[in-house]
Amino acid sequence: MSEKLGKIADGLLHGKIDEVGELTQELINDGMDPEEILQKGLFAGMDVVGKKFRDCEMFIPEVLRSAKAMHAAMEKLRPVLSEESSSKAGTVIMVTVQGDLHDIGKNLAGMMMEGAGFNVIDMGIDRKTEDIVEMVKKEKPQILGLSALLTTTMPKMGEVINALKEAGIRDQVKVIVGGAPVTDDFAQEIGADAYAPNASIGTEKALELVKG
Amino acid sequence: MANDKTNCIVNRSPRFSFLSEDQKQTIFHGMLKVLQDTGANVHHEQAREIFKKHGCKIDGIRVYIPPNLVRQALQSVPLMTTIFDWEGNPRIYIEENRSYFGPGPTLVYFRDPYTMERRKCLRKDATTVARVCDALPNIGFVEGLVTISDVPRGTDDVFEFADMIQNTTTPIMAWSYQRGGARDIHRIGCIMAGGEEAFKKKPNYILYSEPISPLVSDFHAIDKLMYCAEHGIPQDYSPCAIGGGTVPATHAGQLVVALSESMVGVVLSQLINPGTCIILGGVQSILDMRRGIYSYGAPELNVLSGGLTEMARYCGLPMFGTAGCTDTKVMEIQSGIEATLQIHTSMLTGANFVHDCGYTESGKTGDIFQTVMDDEIISMARIIEDGIEVNEETLAVDVINRVGSGGHYLYEDHTMKWFRKHWRPTLMDRQSYEDWDKNGRQTMQDRIIKKTRDILENHEGPISRVPKDVQKDVRKVVDEAVERVEREGLD
Repeated sequence: MSEKLGKIADGLLHGKIDEVGELTQELINDGMDPEEILQKGLFAGMDVVGKKFRDCEMFIPEVLRSAKAMHAAMEKLRPVLSEESSSKAGTVIMVTVQGDLHDIGKNLAGMMMEGAGFNVIDMGIDRKTEDIVEMVKKEKPQILGLSALLTTTMPKMGEVINALKEAGIRDQVKVIVGGAPVTDDFAQEIGADAYAPNASIGTEKALELVKG
Repeated sequence: MANDKTNCIVNRSPRFSFLSEDQKQTIFHGMLKVLQDTGANVHHEQAREIFKKHGCKIDGIRVYIPPNLVRQALQSVPLMTTIFDWEGNPRIYIEENRSYFGPGPTLVYFRDPYTMERRKCLRKDATTVARVCDALPNIGFVEGLVTISDVPRGTDDVFEFADMIQNTTTPIMAWSYQRGGARDIHRIGCIMAGGEEAFKKKPNYILYSEPISPLVSDFHAIDKLMYCAEHGIPQDYSPCAIGGGTVPATHAGQLVVALSESMVGVVLSQLINPGTCIILGGVQSILDMRRGIYSYGAPELNVLSGGLTEMARYCGLPMFGTAGCTDTKVMEIQSGIEATLQIHTSMLTGANFVHDCGYTESGKTGDIFQTVMDDEIISMARIIEDGIEVNEETLAVDVINRVGSGGHYLYEDHTMKWFRKHWRPTLMDRQSYEDWDKNGRQTMQDRIIKKTRDILENHEGPISRVPKDVQKDVRKVVDEAVERVEREGLD
């Protein structure tokens, strides 16, 4: 069985989506402790992926395929994992604020966070502030990732943060903001918890924030 | 001197191309297929109605454009358009094989030309860019490089245009957030031209808007496009396509998608006002798959911009290209290398407008020093583009015969006449070691900084020639823009 764990880690590294999903199911069927599959197979593989990416040995599309393989495995694993383990890193809601249709950066960040073990809920683009607040109430994520590419829509990120305050749930979620025109100053000005200049830093910040 | 050659081909400039006629046709057909079968999202009901009325299939917000409608639009785009300065002199001929270079729009930061620090953009920076560009002979159009942060949010588009147009006679490529800003900018353009009729005869600016890659036209982009078409304002509708991110990683695939995105605007503009001027193009580069940035220094940018320029010409449309930019954070060797390759390739392929001279940090920081360096590179590239003139006089067989073997040409009238065509540097160093040492061992950076500050301190620009009542009228439009945004906000 441990051989299969190695194969899972290796499959993640090489972005073998179907194979990783199938192997995970096999190990579940074999009766292996889901926690062990998660730690020794999936997280072990994704740790290597993260390291290789930082060392410039892996590139974004490869990392995203690994993340997708991770996602395929988690689909199988989540139903049998304890609640605590299944959302180990936590849940992230990713969304582009109202009035803005840009989403490549948000998608990239979401996929990378998924690879880092987060359960990522993508709300898409052009979403109203009240919808975002409703979703936060419903899903209770650890992280809310807000994205905007336009200087005109950036203020909507501040609006969301204020609406979270008004709803009395601001302290229940950490807010990360990103998008080309967004700056660290702006993030502080609107009271965000972190500013992500790119997808990988966004993922690192998210991990730091959930660790507290 | 009569030319006695017959049936003789002369190269006015070097010949250069990425694509053969057959390859261009293949890419063009790819675009037609995408517009017909994939379609594009148009977030504007009125625009969709117009498409529908002219035979496009509509499914929700998706618009499918049949090939014949594209061909029809390409029949009605103008063959040439002239852009004037606000004093009424022709400055830009939008026609084949004429290239004009200029900065780009709306960066988040600006490098302060005195403290040298990257900081938020201020209102005065737009004026700096306008005045410096006014003094640079190889800059043919101006964009602001900035997103001004010290005026009421959402009015900076109008402030920027109002300040810039009075500080340069080089025509401006303007931008706005929404139709309201576009309307105010147009009022200013008309005031500067001497009225709406005068503007129609002598348009003095171009408005730039941008579809979102892949294949999305958002409400405001299309709304501004419609406003320009309705008012006969020359405009540019070009995406920033990200190779491997928002478009295929293959160059041909990127060209197909980028062309399709612009073509949505081209078709709509011609349906609204056949013959109105529209430019396609945009930034065409790749997603750096290691850093996750949109590269403004990648060699692929050159190939893609060149390829799209050839496709634009194939379609009979003017091209908005990209050059003179860099991924570096400060002026250094890399910024020179990247800008030089881009400018040279753009010059060879002949994009009509080549923007982003002065873009640094991968499209995040505006740096007027980069623009000043680009100005020198552009003048060098023009010399290469001037090619080799071959005729009896330039062949100089008589002079060669007179000087004979040995001797020299320094006394010759022929030399007196022709050496003046040689390029003369304003920044490049050709001093002897001794002179260079004596003059303070200045580097390229030192010389760029000195030249830029000299311009800022000594070049006044045309502001004093703007009549007082015109200045007052422009200020009124800006004041009203502030009231408009306070009243209506931005949605």
